[in-house]
Amino acid sequence: MHAPERLHCTRIVATPTALDTAAWPGGAVVLRVAADEALVAAPVELDVVSDPHAIVEPETAFCGVWVEVEEALAFLERECDWELPTERPAFAQGAVAGLPVKLWFAADGDDRVLFVVPAPFVVDFVERWS
Amino acid sequence: MTIRRLRISCPHCGVRAVEEFVHGEIPTIPEGIVEPEARDLDRAFMHTNAEGVVVERWFHAFGCRRWLTLARDTRTNDIPDNRG
Amino acid sequence: MNEAVERLVDLRWPSQVKSAYDVVIIGGGGHGLATAYYLATRHGITNVAVIEKGYIGSGNSGRNTTIIRANYGIPEAVRFYQHSLEMYGRLEQETGRDVMHATKGLLWIAHSEAGVRQERARAEINTAFGSKTEYVDPKTIQDICPQLDMTGQGVWPIYGASYHPSGASARHDRVVWAYAEGAMRLGVHVHQRTAVTGFLRDGDRVVGVETTAGSIAAGVVVSAVGGHVTTLASMVGLRLPIRTHQLQAFVTNRYAQAFGPIVASSGLGVYASQPAKGEMLIGAEIDRAPAYAYDAGHSFLRSCAFRSIALLPFLRDLRVLRQWTGVCDMSADYSPIMGFTGVPNLLVTTGWGTWGFKAIPAGGEQMAELIATGRTPALIAPFALDRFANDRTMADRGSAGTH
Ligand SMILES: Cc1cc2nc3c(=O)[nH]c(=O)nc-3n(C[C@H](O)[C@H](O)[C@H](O)COP(=O)(O)OP(=O)(O)OC[C@H]3O[C@@H](n4cnc5c(N)ncnc54)[C@H](O)[C@@H]3O)c2cc1C
Ligand SMILES: [Zn+2]
Repeated sequence: MHAPERLHCTRIVATPTALDTAAWPGGAVVLRVAADEALVAAPVELDVVSDPHAIVEPETAFCGVWVEVEEALAFLERECDWELPTERPAFAQGAVAGLPVKLWFAADGDDRVLFVVPAPFVVDFVERWS
Repeated sequence: MTIRRLRISCPHCGVRAVEEFVHGEIPTIPEGIVEPEARDLDRAFMHTNAEGVVVERWFHAFGCRRWLTLARDTRTNDIPDNRG
Repeated sequence: MNEAVERLVDLRWPSQVKSAYDVVIIGGGGHGLATAYYLATRHGITNVAVIEKGYIGSGNSGRNTTIIRANYGIPEAVRFYQHSLEMYGRLEQETGRDVMHATKGLLWIAHSEAGVRQERARAEINTAFGSKTEYVDPKTIQDICPQLDMTGQGVWPIYGASYHPSGASARHDRVVWAYAEGAMRLGVHVHQRTAVTGFLRDGDRVVGVETTAGSIAAGVVVSAVGGHVTTLASMVGLRLPIRTHQLQAFVTNRYAQAFGPIVASSGLGVYASQPAKGEMLIGAEIDRAPAYAYDAGHSFLRSCAFRSIALLPFLRDLRVLRQWTGVCDMSADYSPIMGFTGVPNLLVTTGWGTWGFKAIPAGGEQMAELIATGRTPALIAPFALDRFANDRTMADRGSAGTH
């Protein structure tokens, strides 16, 4: 695993319907962190969501790293004690190696997993891989 | 001794260990306490600390960062409506 | 003394429950039994019953990590715990029982500049109010405890510590039995497997208790029920600044070498010592959500083991033998609550949280004096329940937090 690098994301807080129907930039990874909140791993225009009260802000507090699925699952087998999603693509979040981690399992054919970690925990995260 | 178990099912994220959550007490001042000073004292220091079912809040700090409200039996740590 | 050759404890169980006693003490933990013991030995008050719902010592008094120390952070607490520590030193002589009291010294480690300031302040305040604590540098720390990783695995470097040479431990159930035996020998009744289920009232006054063995009239009722105090107090409409939290601990298999002192770290939230049998005994902080359950958890074990290994790397090679839980009466200001409750004839000793084993001798002695004289002794006056209403809280979290 390479060290996670700073992600230039956009954080969007809006009504669940507005998030469900948003036209996200092509190819961007969209992490639905809560019913009314999305973290998009790309710059996003203000008007992508239809909610006039939406909050759309750049978010640089996270780092991310893509890991081959086999290596990722071996790590998760050891460090994660909750059930992982089986469908693809899929998003999941929770304690991994005792840290708050967000996971993006890419669509079938792209056998990789994106690990997203709050920047202050990157040192600990890297340590847990060794 | 029984091995712990306290798991909370977050409607957004799924079933997780209690350690992913921050606990929040819902303060309750008995209605029988009426004088403002007595109510202030109760608010500042006293606790219902029920040995039985309590309704309380849980903040999913490791996941969606939203609050849930759940009933838990403090004698068993069982969350009847929230089996994981 | 060899455990095998010591004569058995002479516990004289009463044949029946009387219908009235001068004093009824609810809870057969260390505090309830010590109160009964000093009522009998110091004040000649022996028409006393201790009502215990399980067996004596089945609560926190038989579940704790047995650390005895007086290195607290406020004058009132230093004085009180120092007195208790000195009483522990004489307890074997006083009761004629081997409670395996051993003075070990206690290191309280600082991992940061802020931690250093706190441990220096602890040493100052202890010295000023009659206890012995000195600030020590890393070199001295290593002499006292060579097993410590001074780099803290690179993450928790050891900057300094306060050293409390009189820090000690004693075998918890033997302390409970010694007090029970001494009290019962003088005629105190201890009723096991009897739960208090309510109070007898005459107007405002408490005049006795309802129990699973019938009602018992009493001149004075003392609640010494540990984590269950809120449940009992609510039966007379009394609100308390108490929350009940689970506290866990574990022991490893035998560590072949001698481990002398007691080692604690606020930064890591763990502490470790070695009981006479040679295992390593490790404790940590309370669980966050209030609970009365006795379940024990794997994530506690994992995180506590991880943190204690940062301090004492040799622990990595040991195995966890047993893990258990107690339910602690945590007070809002992390200090005990002793004395009058505002409900006539009902006294309380509570707020012993995670720190009340060391207080059993002085707590019992002072409560007995209060009952016998009807006046609050000066040593425990600061710990009265009405301090919360009078803006006189005894905030001392940094000293009471874990052990
Ligand atoms: C894991 C752990 C580690 C600890 N480590 C330390 C330490 O190192 N040093 C230290 O000083 N302190 C420590 N403590 C705290 C210490 O154990 C307690 O503060 C102390 O034992 C309290 O004694 P007690 O007599 O007040 O309560 P308990 O020993 O809990 O006794 C209360 C008794 O009341 C009984 N009871 C409850 N309700 C009723 C009822 N309705 N009717 C009749 N009986 C009832 C219970 O069965 C129980 O036996 C620790 C605690 C735990 C759990
Ligand atoms: Zn969640």
